[in-house]
Amino acid sequence: MTILLTVILVAYAAGMVLPLIVPGKPDIQNVLAHACAGVAAGTGIVLGVSGIVARAPLTLASSSTIPLLTFGIRLDALASFFLLTISLVGLAAAIYAVGYLRHLSGRASPAVLGALFNAFLCAMTLVVVADDGFLFLLAWELMSLISYLLVVTDHEDPKVQHAGFLYLVMAHIGTAFIVVTFMLLFQQGETFSFDAFRHPGRPVSDRLQTVAFLTALIGFGVKAGIVPLHVWLPYAHPVAPSHISALMSGVMIKTAIYGLLRVLFDFLGGQFPWWWGFTILVIGAVSAVLGVMYALMEHDLKRLLAYHSVENIGIILLGIGAGMLFHTYGLEALAALGVLAGLYHTVNHAMFKALLFLGAGALLSATHSRNMEEYGGLLRRMPWTGACFLVGAVSISALPPTNGFVSEWLVFQSLFQSVQVPSLLMKLMLPLAAVLLALTGVLALACFAKAFGISFLALPRSTHARYAEEVPWSMRIGMVILAATCVLLGLAPMVVVPLLDHVIQPMIGASVAHQVLAPDGWTLIPVSAEFSSLSPPVLALILAGSAAAALALTTLAGGRRTNRRAGTWVCGLNLSPRMQYTATGFVQPIKRVFSTIYQPTVKLETEFLHESQYFAKRRHFTFRIEPVFETYLYQPVAALIHALASRLRVIQAGSLHVYLAYMFVTLVLLLLIAL
Amino acid sequence: MPTPTILQAIALSVAQALVLSILAPFIVGLIRKLKARLQCRRGPSLLQPYADLAKLFRKQPVVSTTASWIFTATPYIVFGSTLTAGLLVPVFISQVPLSFAGNIIALVYLFALGTFFLILAGLDSGSAFGGMGGSREAIVASLTEPAMIMSIFAIALTAGSTNLSAIVHRTALMEGAVDPVPQLMALAALFIVTLAETGRVPVDNPATHLELTMIHEAMILEYSGRYLALLEWAAAIKLLVFLTLIANVFAPWGIATAPTPPALAVGVTVYAAKVSLLAALIGLIECMFAKLRLFRVTDLLGVAFILALLGLLFFYILQG
Amino acid sequence: MSWLTPHVGAQLVDLGSAMLLLTCFAIVAQRRLSACVDLFALQSFFLAMTATLVAFLTGTRHIYVAAALTVAVKGLVIPRVLRRVIERLNVTRELVMNVNVPASLLICGALVMIAFFITQPIISFGHLLTRNSLAIALAIVLIGFFTMIARQKAVTQLIAFLVMENGLFLGATAATYGMPLIVELGVFFDVLVAALIAGIYTNRLQDAFDSVDTSRLSELRE
Repeated sequence: MTILLTVILVAYAAGMVLPLIVPGKPDIQNVLAHACAGVAAGTGIVLGVSGIVARAPLTLASSSTIPLLTFGIRLDALASFFLLTISLVGLAAAIYAVGYLRHLSGRASPAVLGALFNAFLCAMTLVVVADDGFLFLLAWELMSLISYLLVVTDHEDPKVQHAGFLYLVMAHIGTAFIVVTFMLLFQQGETFSFDAFRHPGRPVSDRLQTVAFLTALIGFGVKAGIVPLHVWLPYAHPVAPSHISALMSGVMIKTAIYGLLRVLFDFLGGQFPWWWGFTILVIGAVSAVLGVMYALMEHDLKRLLAYHSVENIGIILLGIGAGMLFHTYGLEALAALGVLAGLYHTVNHAMFKALLFLGAGALLSATHSRNMEEYGGLLRRMPWTGACFLVGAVSISALPPTNGFVSEWLVFQSLFQSVQVPSLLMKLMLPLAAVLLALTGVLALACFAKAFGISFLALPRSTHARYAEEVPWSMRIGMVILAATCVLLGLAPMVVVPLLDHVIQPMIGASVAHQVLAPDGWTLIPVSAEFSSLSPPVLALILAGSAAAALALTTLAGGRRTNRRAGTWVCGLNLSPRMQYTATGFVQPIKRVFSTIYQPTVKLETEFLHESQYFAKRRHFTFRIEPVFETYLYQPVAALIHALASRLRVIQAGSLHVYLAYMFVTLVLLLLIAL
Repeated sequence: MPTPTILQAIALSVAQALVLSILAPFIVGLIRKLKARLQCRRGPSLLQPYADLAKLFRKQPVVSTTASWIFTATPYIVFGSTLTAGLLVPVFISQVPLSFAGNIIALVYLFALGTFFLILAGLDSGSAFGGMGGSREAIVASLTEPAMIMSIFAIALTAGSTNLSAIVHRTALMEGAVDPVPQLMALAALFIVTLAETGRVPVDNPATHLELTMIHEAMILEYSGRYLALLEWAAAIKLLVFLTLIANVFAPWGIATAPTPPALAVGVTVYAAKVSLLAALIGLIECMFAKLRLFRVTDLLGVAFILALLGLLFFYILQG
Repeated sequence: MSWLTPHVGAQLVDLGSAMLLLTCFAIVAQRRLSACVDLFALQSFFLAMTATLVAFLTGTRHIYVAAALTVAVKGLVIPRVLRRVIERLNVTRELVMNVNVPASLLICGALVMIAFFITQPIISFGHLLTRNSLAIALAIVLIGFFTMIARQKAVTQLIAFLVMENGLFLGATAATYGMPLIVELGVFFDVLVAALIAGIYTNRLQDAFDSVDTSRLSELRE
């Protein structure tokens, strides 16, 4: 296994260096970079699977003469699971990128983008395998910085600059909180090795644990994009190149879930007070609902997908939060079920979100627009992209028989177990969480019915859409791989559940594979066959059988098999794209019903003809929804910091002597304190 | 109960599919007839829906030139998912062989699959009606689903299971004392949800083609021939499945608890009587109430949600 | 009546109290004033039935009297008065609300939860028969109070006040198997007078402002 890990790191390193030093055409550099990434990611898949099933974790440590600088690497089941997820998405993205970067030519050099792509994947891999605080933070910071560089690929655009700046600031706030968490844990063992965090020399006091929990929640929460720390996500994800968005949304935000699980179950493992799990549950429910609600109002396809990441992180946290609650009450099997559901959704979301971002990238490169209102009719022009996007849309809407359905079903089941919790308050809160999950699910359905329906169906809404062409083969292969994974993960939970069980067992100390999976191996039965059961393969089979029965029925009924084609009846006119329902119109009822959340402002300006007040010359319609968190939370904070900063400007005298004096005073003070 | 053999299981499932699909048009006819009589009209024959379906199946469909393969695939997907849902619900026997394939949550999501493709099909023709229907369906569904999950929660907790067969079987055998209060509230909530999900008055009106009011009809406006037949039939089966759910979860009287011929005969007869009664109730409601404005549907479904929530609360309180 | 075991009796009392609560929610969800009055009358009948049941099961005679009075005063007389008022004023429905219906429903749901949490420590001390009714009674009082805040028309506010009174009566029956008869008689008289006064006040409001919208009372400041 050590060899595999070496291969991965060497391949990524090669991918970082080779495209920059090999002279030649951009095409060659492009292929070279992504071939390296592909090899590394492929190896990562193998290592991930073998790491999950391995009995003992793989550990490596570098010896160093400086006491605090010993880099440790440890690949346990949890790390392997995230390595597997990263590598799966990385492989598909690498294949996709070969074709995608050709279209991007002229804006950024494929060599640089390819090298950064490798570096990004490498940093994420290092984050999950790191076994000490220094290496973790180093990799974490690299991951943030490289993704920042990738976000600002189009750095001439002021919007991109703004997005990049926001991302950089938020990422560093997050890192600062993680540093605090590690410092708190460091105090107990006086070393940054994760092993010391796990088994602290001194017992950790309750108050310290609570502070560590809160700082970790904020620190990782920023990266994960929980509400209200999600504001950077809808700006940063859309402006990056699409295969990078797929990585950021699909896996980078999952490293935060990894970090959270590592801190909660590994470092602080053992006893949680009930309100930890409850906090996670509430954050999860709020993120899920608000994420999907804001997504519904977006007509920029990539921003829409970014908001859906907030939603899905919420669903993951619902599972984990329920698990933590059960853990508090000593219901270990249920705790394992909750975390299992969360992890299952983690890998599923990585697959379908990456797929959808790759699909959005295909649309972008074919139509040169991210605005849904300028798509339309693309299913005919781009059948492969359309079919793959449909699979992604069905998965993210949690519809059977895809993977999103299975993991959301599992989250539901763990919430249904609320009856076993002793506290009456929790007995009522868990069902409410389930209700919010149901609302999330159906709003996601509405959102993707809109996204797919407006983009791919009916008539093209712009010239670009009318003449769009299907993307090159490498991009199609990248999408097909992910689409197939989505379907397989949905149909084969009997393979996934035992693997996840290996991951959870060391965390919670309970094995649930036999309680979640029926003895026949085809049915999920959390946590007893009497209470609930779901057999995705059989369900898919019945579904196919029933549809086939309908087909047979129409054949047997006789009548002509061919369909007559005729134009859609639009009251005697010719159908034009402007008659079609727009994305804005489609979500109008939802906007109106949930106006308390959206706070919409609608403006209709009409310019009349000079001759008569009855005939409008032009109408201008604008609507915007209030970005509540930005207006009421971030802007006041930013204004406050601004005010403070302008006060502090007094000390910036600009004179060299003054600065020297500062340093001198500091030096003297430090010497005095050191005494 | 001894586990049935594979052959028995297949036979029972096929029989259930047949009972559901054959009875469904009759239920629709019954509601129409009853409404007609209450409005002092004679109304079409009870068998008219069958004749309609037969006619539609033989007609050549006209498909819009704008539409893609989604449009032609949707009827099969909708029919398939509805029938699959029907196979998970106990109809005339409490232990359904295929019940293990999915519980009550799976049922909800199977219907959601149908809704998703119906919305897509509505958008596919490019006509504004289709988009309008889809848009309205989306908002009604997003208000219905939370109420539905809440009532399912109440039902599942009183029965101690989310498996439909287990719920019905236990209630049929009267295992455990059932408190009437949470049950009644969950029943009322589920009934309102049924009206909303199956597009009946006061949420939607299946008898109208007026663009201001229609929801479901607007989505399928462009369909004709065998596609329309499949969609109409699927809608009828969906209605029947919801009525079956209500009838058998709250009043599983007479349902066969073992697959013996006399028990099955009683089961089928009693079942037909029960759902006919419920259908009559729906017909009565459709005569008594006017369709609500789209933005007043929130009030109705809010009531359903609160009913289910109270049911849940009462369950915990009465449990002690 | 051998089937009427204490357990079944308690279930029936719960059922009656639950119906009272449900009518409360129906009043909150209803915009038509005449329907609100009907629902209030219905609620009073449910209250009388529940009280009769408690009287029968515990053998407390004077609750019968209170139940009969409930039917007479709150089930028949007051609804009649209110219908008159509505007819005369020609206001049929609540158009503008301080809190819209779905939000009101959710808030009332939360109020029920709060009521249950508050009474939870007391419940275990209560009589077996009516231990859950106390929580429901408190919930009804809270919902009545909230409705007075959330609605604007004087008639709805009056109904909400009467709903609160119903809740108090249920609470008294539940907690102590009824108040002394003389107190109850006094309360009924008070309620009747209050309803009449409010009816007159509504009429005056109409005359003064051409509206029964109580928020316009703030115009009296000037």
